[in-house]
Amino acid sequence: MVPKWLVIAKNEYNLRLSGIRSIRPYFPYIVIGLLAVYVAFIAPAIVSAFIDELLAFFLSQVAVAMIQILMFLLFIYILILPITYTLRDVQTGQLEIFLAAPIKPSDVLLGEFLGVVPFYAIAVAVVAGFFTAVLNPLGLGLVQIAIIIMVFVLIFFSALWIGSLIAALLRTKFGKASRGKDIGRALSVILVLPLIALMYAIMSGGVLEALANPGTSGIVKTLLSLVPSSWGAEVIISFASNPGDIAAVGVETLIRFGGQITFLVVVLWLGTKVANRAYSLEPITFTASRAKPDGVFYKSIKYLLGGKSSSSLLVSVCKDYGRRLENLSWLVYVVGLVVMLNIFFGDPSSDLEDTLFSLSLMMSPFLATFVVGTGTTREKANLFIFKKAPSGMGKFVKARLLQGLIVVVPIAAAVTVIFTIVLPQITLISLLTNTILVSLRATAFVIFVLGFVLLIPSFSEKSRDRTLHAVINLQITIFTSIGLTIILPILGLDFRKILPNLDLFMGFLYNHLLQTAIISLVGIMLISLGKRKLRRIE
Amino acid sequence: MGNNLLKALIRTESLSKYYGKGGEIKAVDELNLEVYEGETFGLLGPNGAGKTTTVRLLNCIIKPTNGTAIVNDLDILKDETEVKRITGLLAESPGLYEKLSAQEFLEFMGALYDVPPKILHGRIEDLLKLFSLYDRRDHLLEGYSRGMKQKILIAAAIIHDPPILFLDEPTSMLDPRAALMVKDLIKTLADKAGKTIFICSHILPIVEELCDRIGIISQGRLIALGTIAEIIAQTGTKTLEDAFIAITGGVQEKELLAWREQKAVGS
Repeated sequence: MVPKWLVIAKNEYNLRLSGIRSIRPYFPYIVIGLLAVYVAFIAPAIVSAFIDELLAFFLSQVAVAMIQILMFLLFIYILILPITYTLRDVQTGQLEIFLAAPIKPSDVLLGEFLGVVPFYAIAVAVVAGFFTAVLNPLGLGLVQIAIIIMVFVLIFFSALWIGSLIAALLRTKFGKASRGKDIGRALSVILVLPLIALMYAIMSGGVLEALANPGTSGIVKTLLSLVPSSWGAEVIISFASNPGDIAAVGVETLIRFGGQITFLVVVLWLGTKVANRAYSLEPITFTASRAKPDGVFYKSIKYLLGGKSSSSLLVSVCKDYGRRLENLSWLVYVVGLVVMLNIFFGDPSSDLEDTLFSLSLMMSPFLATFVVGTGTTREKANLFIFKKAPSGMGKFVKARLLQGLIVVVPIAAAVTVIFTIVLPQITLISLLTNTILVSLRATAFVIFVLGFVLLIPSFSEKSRDRTLHAVINLQITIFTSIGLTIILPILGLDFRKILPNLDLFMGFLYNHLLQTAIISLVGIMLISLGKRKLRRIE
Repeated sequence: MGNNLLKALIRTESLSKYYGKGGEIKAVDELNLEVYEGETFGLLGPNGAGKTTTVRLLNCIIKPTNGTAIVNDLDILKDETEVKRITGLLAESPGLYEKLSAQEFLEFMGALYDVPPKILHGRIEDLLKLFSLYDRRDHLLEGYSRGMKQKILIAAAIIHDPPILFLDEPTSMLDPRAALMVKDLIKTLADKAGKTIFICSHILPIVEELCDRIGIISQGRLIALGTIAEIIAQTGTKTLEDAFIAITGGVQEKELLAWREQKAVGS
């Protein structure tokens, strides 16, 4: 009999390759071949371009802490990937198949883990290949290279096993109710933010600067020394310092490498022990979510719209949006991203124009895309409710547009106020001007994105599909935004040249308003076309 | 049917499943019933009555709060793996691997239940032909209609040829032709292959047609048990539908249009 974990592993592997079924049998050979080319030729070629800098870095004071951080990042990335993948679309349907079959939960866990190993291994092979290519010129021995590769393999297996286990536990916890699934999707968005922050910190050079300080470096080393990925990092650094002489660091290597192996064995054992909890259909809670009576916000909307049926419609659409944690998590994500970009890459000497430019160009499309773009055409069934109603499509578009504006514009305005107020020598007038201009641009993007989404809708309840659709929307929106700033001056539509006597900022302001107007007009056109398209959808 | 002579293949002993703080929600409460070998038994009940929970308990998918059940002399608390091996389950809302083809999914299910590969391939072919899906065996399940998916799930439930079959709403998503085929299959499995079949449904004609005996469950408690004729007689009604309503409660005719009268008062 084939072991059950192997049956499940094979199934997981096949599922992931279902998109390329025709070449599935050749997939391992293609990947191994490509990786061999990468390790033998591409990685050494890339490394040779920066070899002096890289070697100097590996032998520098900051190397230990920096490699520890990089290995920790790798560990966390591998750990978090199966978690976010699972949380994005929590599915417990298949759980019933496993639980009804004569299989131990530990076999299911092992099978699911091994089924995805080949795919994550590709990424690890790329990273390990790069490291060995860097260290090879130092004259490392074969045993040292083999141990370095093993270090990566151990980090990879430990992280992926822990990640798979946590993913299974979270799936069981969140997967049984819609509310839980929503929490899962929201978490999958938010979880990525700290990693992005760390990555931005490294990219901006802030981390390297901080590590140059022995005090900071020492704290980082001490803190990270508790994490098994750091034991591997220490092995790599000790080999880099003693190339070809494994005996010089034999005991330390034995302890650190042994520590990594012990850690893996312990987490494997613990995983099999808690697997029963990870695969269960026992309900976690029986508390159903209840709607609260309308608060001031919804009452105000109804009042402002005269209490007509359109106000009820808008309130319903807003409630449906606001009660999904996934939607709110995207707002947190976008605002977090803007704040981080400002912290890590912001120019302290930036002026009003720079702030206006970056907020209009970057934040507004992000907000509009993730608010309007991800939820508007969530389910075809919802759309059919509107299609059935008299003048339903018009009501649908109006409600979605207003809902988008209600969410996007105040957030865009608030972020602009915060970012503008910290600028030196800011006046109330310029603060107001900046806020109004960004709000107008945000409005234009809401119209544009709504039009685009109506024209090319993505009907899917799957978070993954909707995120992909939103990312495509975002690219188009940003491309349009940047494209206009480039194309309009080429077409001679640059107020700084049309009206040369104009103050530089006023010229920028007029250009900004012109772009906003064009985006809005295109958006209105798209909405009109999109409405027609949706009317035809069957 | 002479029940005294037949072996009880499924026997629940005060089987209970409670949820919530202090177990205030009684999904299944002190369930005592016997299902005999070769019998087709129907468990009826309104939505949320505890039918699916009962099936999950009997298939060792969840654990009882109190009591136990014996399935073919195996205790669901002690012999979990063996119970699973001898039962087949068509769940109410099971998850399919949509990125697998019908052939691949059935191969996977067969391997989970240790069906020897020599038998498995022929059986998959036969089942796919039986369900008229052989020509689409290589299509991904994501492209199947709900009825076609239901057929694949029924095939998966019987792929290891278990002596006991649990079918939770087996015909709910099928068109009349497919439903007829499934009904015939169930009858044949019971009559010719001697399978013991446990059906959960609230589609009364299906139960009437297929089941030797039925149990009616409401709010977790078994409130009626016997042949259809016995239950109709017990309630003094003429049809199973009337008996079901009499036992579980229904809406009075005058209530059906009360909402209109209220509107008239308001306006």
